[in-house]
Amino acid sequence: MSDTLGTFEQAVMLAVVRLGDEAYGRAILHEVQARIGRDVAGGAVHATLDRLERKRLLSSRLEPGTPVRGGRARRYYRLRAAGARALDDARTTLDALWHGVRRPISSVLGGPT
Amino acid sequence: MTVDSSSPPAWAEWVLLASLQSRDAETVTGDLLEEYRTHIAPSRGRRRADLWYATHALGFAWRRAGASVVLLTLAFLIRTAIDWRMPTADFHLRSEVSTFVSVGVFLLAGFQAGARSGSSPLGGIAGLIVALFALPLQLVGAAVLLAIWNDHATLAAIQASGGLGEVFSMPLMTVLPAAALGVIGGAAGAASRRLHPA
Repeated sequence: MSDTLGTFEQAVMLAVVRLGDEAYGRAILHEVQARIGRDVAGGAVHATLDRLERKRLLSSRLEPGTPVRGGRARRYYRLRAAGARALDDARTTLDALWHGVRRPISSVLGGPT
Repeated sequence: MTVDSSSPPAWAEWVLLASLQSRDAETVTGDLLEEYRTHIAPSRGRRRADLWYATHALGFAWRRAGASVVLLTLAFLIRTAIDWRMPTADFHLRSEVSTFVSVGVFLLAGFQAGARSGSSPLGGIAGLIVALFALPLQLVGAAVLLAIWNDHATLAAIQASGGLGEVFSMPLMTVLPAAALGVIGGAAGAASRRLHPA
């Protein structure tokens, strides 16, 4: 079970999955921001990508830079098989935790507290 | 798509480079430059785009330097509080300890930046970043301490330990030494990187 995969790590990995061949730093940042509906620091996404790569859940490759980037390379990320398994495990765990619980929780409580 | 060919402030690029691993320096600065030129500068104008870039660079720098900044700030405030609340005639030991902590923080910040980037000047930038981030925190912290402890005994202790002028000028006086120590630490870090490449 992937109990080491945090919520933000899942958000970043799912952004990589959604973006497919276009998963690079800023695109991943914008995808995460759009999904969770708030601003996220670029440094936080960068640090998470770095950590996930060190955990061997993501891999990356460099592509040549374009003039608008001042010729600087772009790093694209991809999910590894271990990353896919970790995401599946995380989802399975979440589903098991929510199984049988009626949503929204506030309706179970029966009113404002 | 409108593309702006201008470039962000050089100092902000240096701050960014001092905060990144060498493997990410090209890609992260390239990502930010691309967004700056294709989206931010055309829609917001040059000045606000520069501000946007600087904010992002400082965000990366804070993530890297935050722990050192907190340590330096706490060391300064604890030393200040001890001088004010536990007066002494011999400041030798206290000065040695606080100087040792500050020098260590700046050397370490420079070493880490040098080891990350392989560049000693970037170590100097890293030392400078720590000092400049800590500066307002130290000044505000000292002002808060003064607001809490402004009785006659404490004010007398402050005078005996060098006066308020020294308290509020000391953080400013560490800025240039921070850069110099950062360069020294950076040189050691860059040498260590050459000896032990990742």
